Amino acid sequence: MQSRRPRFRSYVVLAQAAPFIGFIASMLVLLAIVVLVREEPLKALIAIYNFALSSGARIGSVVSVSIPYYLAGLSIAIAFRAGVFNIGNEGQYFIGGLTGAMAGIYLPLPPALHIPVVVLAAMAGGALWAAIPAVLKAARGIHEVITTIMFNNIALALVNYLVNGPLSGLKAGQSLEAQTTKILPSAQFHKLNGFFRSIGWNVPDYVYLDYSLVVAVVAGLVIWIFLFRTRQGFEVRAVGTSTDVSRYSGIKVNRTQVGAFLLSGAIAGLIGLQEIFAIRGFYTYDIASGLGFDGIAISLIASNHPGGVAFSSLLFGFLKQAGYGLQLSTRVPYSATYAIQGLMILFIVAINAVMARAVRALRKREVA
Amino acid sequence: MDLSFLVYFFGKGLEISAPIGYAAIGGVFSERGGVVNIALEGIMQVTALTLVWGAITFHSAWIGLIVAMISGMLMGLLHAVVTVTFKVDHVVSGVAINVFSIGISRFLSQNMFGAEANSALNPYLFPTWLGINCLAFIMIGVVVVAWFVLKKTVFGLRLRSCGENPEAADTLGINVTLMRYAGVLISGALCGIASATLFPSKWTQGMVAGRGFIALAAVIFGRWTPTGAVLASLLFGYADTFRIVFEQKIPIPPQFVQMFPYILAVVVLAGLVGRSRAPAWDGRNYEKGED
Repeated sequence: MQSRRPRFRSYVVLAQAAPFIGFIASMLVLLAIVVLVREEPLKALIAIYNFALSSGARIGSVVSVSIPYYLAGLSIAIAFRAGVFNIGNEGQYFIGGLTGAMAGIYLPLPPALHIPVVVLAAMAGGALWAAIPAVLKAARGIHEVITTIMFNNIALALVNYLVNGPLSGLKAGQSLEAQTTKILPSAQFHKLNGFFRSIGWNVPDYVYLDYSLVVAVVAGLVIWIFLFRTRQGFEVRAVGTSTDVSRYSGIKVNRTQVGAFLLSGAIAGLIGLQEIFAIRGFYTYDIASGLGFDGIAISLIASNHPGGVAFSSLLFGFLKQAGYGLQLSTRVPYSATYAIQGLMILFIVAINAVMARAVRALRKREVA
Repeated sequence: MDLSFLVYFFGKGLEISAPIGYAAIGGVFSERGGVVNIALEGIMQVTALTLVWGAITFHSAWIGLIVAMISGMLMGLLHAVVTVTFKVDHVVSGVAINVFSIGISRFLSQNMFGAEANSALNPYLFPTWLGINCLAFIMIGVVVVAWFVLKKTVFGLRLRSCGENPEAADTLGINVTLMRYAGVLISGALCGIASATLFPSKWTQGMVAGRGFIALAAVIFGRWTPTGAVLASLLFGYADTFRIVFEQKIPIPPQFVQMFPYILAVVVLAGLVGRSRAPAWDGRNYEKGED
């Protein structure tokens, strides 16, 4: 009995080791690719270091590109916690970004009010786009993976139409990519670089550390409190663990899942804010795509925990910058980074599963 | 509307339905064995590339097809190892493979053709009947074979039992792991054929364009049977053909016409089929001796 407690702790360590082992394994594959294209591994490592980690500005860039990753991962995490697989946050952030941009373009408000309104509008748009798949899942039992994928495609066509047609901000004769009119100055996301410099982090002005960083941090805190400190959050986690047990203990499973789905959509609506409100200053259907699928990976690596998602999104931000660094100074193409991301998910989830089984077997043996 | 137009419309529709149909038959095999395969999209992405590479390298479309089927089976093997052996959630593995395949196909294209986004032109095409890729017509035969294999052979019965009740199957001495591997590998090979019915003269990044996902909807709409899945694929395919043929003639914005097949898929899933029943152990891992 005496030795039980420390042993138990070693299980926890074992169960949490998967992301690290998976990360190291995928880095080894990356080095194998480096060798495959006949480059020096050391040169590649130096390129990664120089581009991603060598200065405050480089690290600032990693944090900056991690912001949409974090929101994407958070959105997926909340859905996963309720046993909902929201592949649709791709479409949800295209729609959420659009409704947010509409509020930023057409509502003349003072800045102190405009920014929160814009954020809420984006959340509403994302939740709206999640609503139909959520209701179809609850009412008719149609798997959300299928409906949300369809809704992604519908969203892309819809924003393409709106930006080219009714919401186009291009004057006759302008040959730019299709885009809306400019977002009002009162709704633009300003940079916080001055603040970070005043506390000793030397980030130059070209790095985007803007209001969206605050949005991400607040969203993360709210979701964490919701999941782990409220009754509804407990119900969400209960439903995600076992729908049957939840149903028998009186939790309304369908309603909880719909709620988590909508919340996931609302968070997804925030993913595009940085690009639209801080970087571009207008909306276009050409904003970064694929973040929805990245979010799935980011959330899985962090076992769907809002705090862990912060680490895994920074990891993805680092990988992205590392990929650019490699492409710039070695023969390793950026596509290798995608391949590595996919492999990393596979490694981590596979190692996770093996570890979980090993821990279970160890526990069983201990009990017996 | 003269006769030649009708023939063209029906042939074209069959050709456009074929990639969805082949992938959907693959999905049926995988899911009847109990493995959800949302990696169909990614597998097709890779096989479309290896098809073109094989055809150019060996100067034959048919060898290209074999290369595509083998590489599809390799991708399927990856999915099977992760899901069946390591018992990872099937959708998670599928998503990861889809991400992986974007990268690996672009990486391979860079190495094979020196360009990341598209391959060299492939002069070795499949023979056409009535101007339509003959593989589209062959699909009708493949459906019959798939139906026969699933319904009338010992293998098919065993495969289905692994998707319905692997514990019972295991008790009867059926190797559940082997059967599930077989189902996923068959789906990989069929993805290879599916990519061969895409316009195969050139690989471009993103040429699969969501057909793998539409095929998944077709599997569900077709109630997990080869015949049903292909009929559903034909519905989606002809909806798309209708869009292509009439896009210029209808006075509504082209983007709305583009949405049509997807909206149709949602409506069809929501309204017409209602709750179609998946194989009982579809997407669930089976662990021997677990209580």
